[in-house]
Amino acid sequence: MPTVRLRDASEYPDPAQKIFELSKSWFNHDFKEPPAMSRVMAWDPEFGAPHGRAMKRAMAPGEFSRGEKEMVAAVVSGVNACSY
Amino acid sequence: MVGDAIWYEAAHVVGITNALNVAADGLAALPTVTALLPPVAEGAEEPAVAALFGEIREFYARAEVPAVFRFLARDPGYAADVWAAARRAFGDNRLSRRLKESLAFAVSLTTRSAWGSAFHLHEMRRLGVGEGGVMEVIGVTQMFSSYTKIADTLQLDPDMGGIAPADESPAPGGTPRGR
Repeated sequence: MPTVRLRDASEYPDPAQKIFELSKSWFNHDFKEPPAMSRVMAWDPEFGAPHGRAMKRAMAPGEFSRGEKEMVAAVVSGVNACSY
Repeated sequence: MVGDAIWYEAAHVVGITNALNVAADGLAALPTVTALLPPVAEGAEEPAVAALFGEIREFYARAEVPAVFRFLARDPGYAADVWAAARRAFGDNRLSRRLKESLAFAVSLTTRSAWGSAFHLHEMRRLGVGEGGVMEVIGVTQMFSSYTKIADTLQLDPDMGGIAPADESPAPGGTPRGR
C-alpha cells in the first residue's frame, strides 16, 4: 500500500495535466487514471518534467530500439527488486 | 518484444551475469582470496580444462581467459557446467548477443560490479555498440534506477502489469494447453 495518497488526475493543477497528456501518449494506453508514477512525477513539475525528459531521451530509439530499451529497463527494475 | 521466449532469455542472462559477477568481484579480484585459492594458470591446466579455456578464448575473441573462469576451473566439472550455461545464455538466439551483453552491462552497473561493468562494456564495444549506444544503456539504467527507488520509497502498487498479452504457446518442444 502506498505511503502517500495518490491524487486523482483531477486534483492536479494545469501544468501537471500536460505531464499526464505526455504520459498517455508515451504509453499509448488509455488508463482510467494516469499511472501511479506519472502522478508521483507530476507532484513537482520542476522535478518531474526534467526527469521525464531525461527518461524520454534515454528511451528514444537510437542504436537500440525502444523495445530493446524497455528490456534493459525491465532487467534493471528486476535487479533492483522493484515490483512496480 | 512480444512473447515470453525473449524474456526467458533475458532472465537467463541476468542470472548468469550475476553469478559470474559474484565470483569475479567477490573472489577472483581479491588478492587475499586468490593467495589462498589461486586461479588455474593458463598453460598449466589439465587437458579438459585446456579445451574449456580454448572455448572461452574463442567465444570472447581474447588471448586470455577471464580470471573468473580460471578461478572456477579449480573444479573443472563445475567450471564446464557454468561455462556451458553462460555460453548458452549469451549466444545469439532470439535475442542478439549484442543486446545480451548490453543487458549484462546494465545488470552489472546496477549491482555495482566493477568486473562485470568493465567486462560487458568491452564486449558491447567489440560486438559493434558505439559510444552513443553505450550512453543509451547507461541512461536507461540510470533513469530506471531512479524510478524504481521512487516507486519503492512510496511503495507504489503495480498498475501496468496487465497490459501485456499472455503468451499461450507451450514450453520449447512441448504441447499446447488443452491437447
